[in-house]
Amino acid sequence: MSSSTESKQSTKDCKDNLQLLMHLPMLSGLPMEPIKLLAYLCKRHVFRPGQTIFRQEEVDANAYLILSGKARLLLEEPQEIALVEVGEMDFIGVLSLFCEMKRIYTLRAETEVVSLTLSREKFQKTLEQFPDVGPRIFEATARSIIRWETHFVREHLAKCPECRNHMGIPPT
Amino acid sequence: MITRRPLFYWVKTSNWKLQILLLILIAVGVAARVFPLEMQKRIVNQAIGLGKLNLLFLYCGLYLAAVFLASVIKFLINVIQTHLGQQTLARLRKELYAHILTLPMSFFRRTSSGMVVSALVTEVVSAGELVGQAIAVPINNILTLLAFTGFMFYLNPLLASLSLTIYPFILFSIPILQRRANVENKKRVDATRSLSSKVGETISGIHEVHGNGSYHIENRRFGELVQELLHIRVRWNVYRYAIKGLNNLFQNMGPFLLFIVGGYLAINGRFDLGALVAFLSAYEKLYDPWKELMEFYQTYQEASVSYRRLMEYFDEQPEFALTPPDREPYELAASIQVRDLSFSVAPRVHLLQKVSFDLEPGQSMAVVGFSGSGKSTLVHCIGQLYRYSGGSVKFGGHEVFELTKQDVVRNAGIVAQTPYIFDGTIKENLRYACEAIYDSGKEGDAPRLPSLDEMIEVIQQVGLFMDVLRFGLNTVIEEDEDRELHERIIRIRYRFQSEFGEILGDDIEFFDIKRYLIFSSVASNLTFGTAQQDPFKSENLSRNHYFLWFLEESRLKQPLLELGRDAALQTMDILGNIVPDALFFEQSPMEPDEFEDYTILSQKLQTSSTEELGGAEQAMLLKLALRFVAGVHTTGELQPGLQDSVVQARREFRDQIQADHPEAFSFYRMSGYLPSLSILDNILFGRSRMDIPGAQERIAKSLMQLLIEEDLLERIVEVGMDFRVGPKGDRLSGGQRQKLAIARTFLKNSPLLILDEATSALDNASQKRIQGVLESRWKGRSTIIAVAHRLDTIRNYDKIAVMKAGKIVEMGAFDELLERKGILYELVHGVKTEY
Repeated sequence: MSSSTESKQSTKDCKDNLQLLMHLPMLSGLPMEPIKLLAYLCKRHVFRPGQTIFRQEEVDANAYLILSGKARLLLEEPQEIALVEVGEMDFIGVLSLFCEMKRIYTLRAETEVVSLTLSREKFQKTLEQFPDVGPRIFEATARSIIRWETHFVREHLAKCPECRNHMGIPPT
Repeated sequence: MITRRPLFYWVKTSNWKLQILLLILIAVGVAARVFPLEMQKRIVNQAIGLGKLNLLFLYCGLYLAAVFLASVIKFLINVIQTHLGQQTLARLRKELYAHILTLPMSFFRRTSSGMVVSALVTEVVSAGELVGQAIAVPINNILTLLAFTGFMFYLNPLLASLSLTIYPFILFSIPILQRRANVENKKRVDATRSLSSKVGETISGIHEVHGNGSYHIENRRFGELVQELLHIRVRWNVYRYAIKGLNNLFQNMGPFLLFIVGGYLAINGRFDLGALVAFLSAYEKLYDPWKELMEFYQTYQEASVSYRRLMEYFDEQPEFALTPPDREPYELAASIQVRDLSFSVAPRVHLLQKVSFDLEPGQSMAVVGFSGSGKSTLVHCIGQLYRYSGGSVKFGGHEVFELTKQDVVRNAGIVAQTPYIFDGTIKENLRYACEAIYDSGKEGDAPRLPSLDEMIEVIQQVGLFMDVLRFGLNTVIEEDEDRELHERIIRIRYRFQSEFGEILGDDIEFFDIKRYLIFSSVASNLTFGTAQQDPFKSENLSRNHYFLWFLEESRLKQPLLELGRDAALQTMDILGNIVPDALFFEQSPMEPDEFEDYTILSQKLQTSSTEELGGAEQAMLLKLALRFVAGVHTTGELQPGLQDSVVQARREFRDQIQADHPEAFSFYRMSGYLPSLSILDNILFGRSRMDIPGAQERIAKSLMQLLIEEDLLERIVEVGMDFRVGPKGDRLSGGQRQKLAIARTFLKNSPLLILDEATSALDNASQKRIQGVLESRWKGRSTIIAVAHRLDTIRNYDKIAVMKAGKIVEMGAFDELLERKGILYELVHGVKTEY
């Protein structure tokens, strides 16, 4: 029973949240109103070292913006493999804001991690309030997926010759 | 079929007793309107002309009575018309809704729900209301017209025919003008549309306008459109006023003719003065029915156009009959024979091609394959959700598309990929499928519903038990006199504290009299108890004089007013311009329905300080402050200093109120039940921390054993079954919704069970559990067809069908197919992963 949460949120936090969200690529360039609403709807959570933030194969409808501390993405199945370390201002699990999905990785806190958590329900209700904003967020998200893929291709083409046979085809 | 009915069908089938009553009233009403004219004539000619006072009184009395009768009848006619119209509207709505529900699934893929909503809510209105008027208005007005003209002929045929000569002109010229007005009206709609799309375009591209300084280009383009619209609107209005003017002109020309001809005749003594007065009145009275007739004509035109368009939209045949007309629904043995099944959505777009297989009753089959390979389509065809375009599907020896819906729902249960949960309680949702089978809609034919035990068993099977238990624990029990239950809960409280108090300390905030409770409201923190008398209930505290006096005394009032002010202003700042949705108010002490009141108050707060507010306004702010929960609400901030003052005031408050109003509160004591708190809060003697993911699950798990020992478990689960899931099951998680959908289908106990990726939103453990239930309880008893999205669950199925591009490419037992080293082998060994 190792989770704990910052018990007191304050107005100051809400304003900080606003600053933080404004600078996320996914939300940059949006009008203030929807960002303000999202900043208000976000919750701050504190995870202790070693605590699992979300687990592979489990459904979790949150996205986490890491404010401080270090956490690690890992694969637990079929065996545990440590992947990238994430930290301050990394925005993890964004895609689950758009649809229900199971986690592909596990995210585990390595130090004490403070995160700003946004749930899909709140995100989508916010989009319903501001219909103009949706397409812009989709566009920004698509762009970041393109960035990942470009990066992925560049990195793997050289190192993994057998991957070439599957590259460039979206999984069916 | 409803959509093929002409608008007049609804008139024909309306309530004829009312229609006949209406006709009688109309006839009387018309007579009552003509009668005063005759009186008018007699008053002038006989009473005044001959100077007879008694006749004057008699005729005036009759005149008055006729006027009165006419008004009463007019009112009755309107009431009956409304009744007829609204009855038809309701009938039209119900029948159209029933029709729409039966339309094929393909219809709903191309139709938005908004379209159906606006059809049923707004578009049927004009047609429905027209039916109320369809008989009354034309007959009433035509009769009135005839009566008045008849009366005019009775007075003087020459004058009458003279005054009617103008009507042919009106009848001829007005439709011409109306047609032109219609043309302009259509143009106006189009021009308005292009104007608004122009504005939209310019605003979206505003940075380009600024960047290029192209203001004048945009102004010119906009100007052209505005100019065009101006011309159209002018023409349109000119036609409309021309119609009005022409009508008035002709109407007003009437008296001129009457004066010149009637006056001439009267001077020559061939027409008496009274008749002339009556004639003029009759003529003027022609105007109203005439106008109403013209208006009715227009309404009728518009209503029939929109009615036709509406009905054309829904003009589609249901694919399957609902109930067998001449027999009881079949009890089928669930053998399935599929032969050369194909399903096309358009010429040359085949979703299924030549699919064939057989299942004996009790056999199970898993369908696997890539997405888009036709897995869902296949089970939809078997479950009669789609009408297949070729081949045959036999269910218990009957061709599926010849079966009625009742035959199928009695014998097959389907769990959809994204199941839909309806607003209502868990219990209602669990019973939904069973209720649909046995509730034939006939009176006295009560549905056979599953018992509580059956429902508890099935929620255990699907792994929903703990969730329902938690819902139950979070419920506040209303009946507060159940001493025995209270005692049991208190017993559990003591045991829980000694056994789990330590381990679950992080998940719970215990009611500790020395500490400020972050997860309780300011009011509970101050009173540290629950009110036993209405004036002290938390919703009334902000207006309770005694309580206000105490706040003043303990110097809490001002800081709380400030807290309320902050909460109000910040909530307004963030939520000011959006549609109030309950979700947005979770982090504010304000309720969605109070939003408007606080909007007004916060405007005042911009310029006034809290001291300047009136008592009622201060009470509104205090209400927010007293509700404020520090650990949950983020609009406003509870300073640590204020928290300390509240804790200090707690003891004073207790001493004071026990002296002044000893019955007002029951205070939080370990040994006493806490009314108006949830069962869980009572057991915990504290609050579970709702912001910690998993806290409630851990607590509920630890509580299980204690609840069993105190024989309370089932009771609380039963309470939890009454949990309301919210619209679309909003208050449940995706996994909970899927489990609930599986449970409601399990409860049907049908011979055929179709699962379309029914466990896709569940975590591994829950999937395994449900797979286990399928294998232990269902296999061999019911025929199972399961579309699988994971390959580790399919090993124990009798048959595996591997699909690709609408065909079954492999079929056989799991091991057999692996040995064959075909596509299943590739799938299992992850050459290509399936998503």
